[in-house]
Amino acid sequence: MTTLLARAEEEAPTGAAPGRPRLARSASRWRRVGVRILATGVLLALWQLLYSLQIWSPVLLPSPGAVWEALVRTSTTNDGVVGYQGHYLIDHLGISLGRIGLGSLFGVAAGLVVGLLMGTLPWVRVVVEPWVTFLRTLPPLAYFSLLIIWLGIDESPKIWLLGIAAMPPVAVATAAAVVGAPATLVEAARAMGASRWQTTISVVLPSALPEISTGVRLAVGIAYSSLVAAETVNGLPGIGGMIRQAQAFNQSDVVILGLFAIGISGLLIDAALRAVERRVVPWRGRA
Amino acid sequence: MASDQPAATPLTTPRGGALSLRGVEHDYGQGRDAVHALGPVTLEVPAGESLVLVGPSGCGKSTLLRLVAGFETPTRGTLTVDGDQPEPGRQAGVVFQQARLFPWRTVGGNVELALRLAGVAREERRARAGELLARVGLEGVAGRRTWEVSGGQQQRIAIARALAGAHPLLLLDEPFAALDALTRERLQEDLRGVSAQTGLSSVFVTHSVDEAVFLASRVIVLTRAPGTVALDVAVDLPRTGVEPDELRGSPEYAAFRAEIGAAVRTVAS
Repeated sequence: MTTLLARAEEEAPTGAAPGRPRLARSASRWRRVGVRILATGVLLALWQLLYSLQIWSPVLLPSPGAVWEALVRTSTTNDGVVGYQGHYLIDHLGISLGRIGLGSLFGVAAGLVVGLLMGTLPWVRVVVEPWVTFLRTLPPLAYFSLLIIWLGIDESPKIWLLGIAAMPPVAVATAAAVVGAPATLVEAARAMGASRWQTTISVVLPSALPEISTGVRLAVGIAYSSLVAAETVNGLPGIGGMIRQAQAFNQSDVVILGLFAIGISGLLIDAALRAVERRVVPWRGRA
Repeated sequence: MASDQPAATPLTTPRGGALSLRGVEHDYGQGRDAVHALGPVTLEVPAGESLVLVGPSGCGKSTLLRLVAGFETPTRGTLTVDGDQPEPGRQAGVVFQQARLFPWRTVGGNVELALRLAGVAREERRARAGELLARVGLEGVAGRRTWEVSGGQQQRIAIARALAGAHPLLLLDEPFAALDALTRERLQEDLRGVSAQTGLSSVFVTHSVDEAVFLASRVIVLTRAPGTVALDVAVDLPRTGVEPDELRGSPEYAAFRAEIGAAVRTVAS
């Protein structure tokens, strides 16, 4: 046995990609961050320039400074006025994120179940697939009206809307990944005596994880972009409701502030999801 | 070096793995599109034999292995393993040309999954996986990711995984074909060792005459498709107590090599 051991160690690993040294990697990361900060600065300068040229009235295009003031105004209490419409910006955002979180959670869960059924049972796929596509092509605002009639104007129609919007990408990704599970790995599991059910749990589902996680990121993104639709009715407090309210009063600085709040939090959440993905699917692109 | 290694725990390999093929034929497809891939093959292989199937590409040797594994059912004829119809995962462990490891599991996790599917209790799996990996010459890699180890090591892991079921029969479908020559020889030597230690029955598919002579206690040469038995020869080279290089250099080895090589060239031409 000993000689065998010594030999096995001699076989050089070929799959291991040591990558660049840590130092070079972190240097290139800082360079990337630097470029992004610079680009953002240039955009802000352009914006300020456009404002200063006074091509459009300040009501249409507020200055970066005005948006900054709107940020300060909506985050503090001035003369007894709390934030914007009685809530601070951070609370509007927090409430909206809560809705997105809950809606995405339900949508992803439903999408997983539907996708798994579509992937494993061909007749379910035949029946359900056109409906998923149908749902996917509908603008959320269109079915929101129906949800209002059915569920009223409180939280439930908003959560339902976000859930319905988030469900299809997860369902489609899961179904495709389950159908496309590598036959070689499925056969390897059968060779070990795995039952159909054990094969699904131990091989088909994990092999689908990379595509499912892409589906989840897409789903959260779609829930994000449906937020303003979900908060068109009785959306305050909420960042979408805040934008709509500000629109009614021509407060373009608050509208732009709201856009930034949604966009920046969206970036942060996508980065967080990607970090989770790297933990959950470390083999992505490797095997 | 030898003293600090724990003594290899004997694998509990139940005696068995006898094959019986009577007029076995296999077609792929049906009706007018059916392609006759194999047979008729009639063969009795007692338990404990290291059978190697050699033949030209597409002669149906992999098909024969898939029939024994239970992945396919013979179109005509009967095939039994220890008297029963083969069923995947029941009588045999299988090693494929590619390692087919599960990348979402670590090296040890791959072996542990095979142990779980074989019905081994949870608390025993880790230790048993370690034993199995040691048996194929791997230690200290259980926590590694499958893509972090070399191709030769991946195939060793696949063999450990196939041994996990403690079946009396091991089926190998050109498992070393994708490896470089040196790694390939090492794995052949180690497989020969494991096979001699455990008394495992095995069926090994290859197109390499050298590999066949080195590993086999019996070699079957198949004709071109649909493959039938062209040569059936017992290779009675010593299984233990001989250095691999000594064996490869021996005149008996050369004689078997010449005989089987000639048969393969004849069927291929």
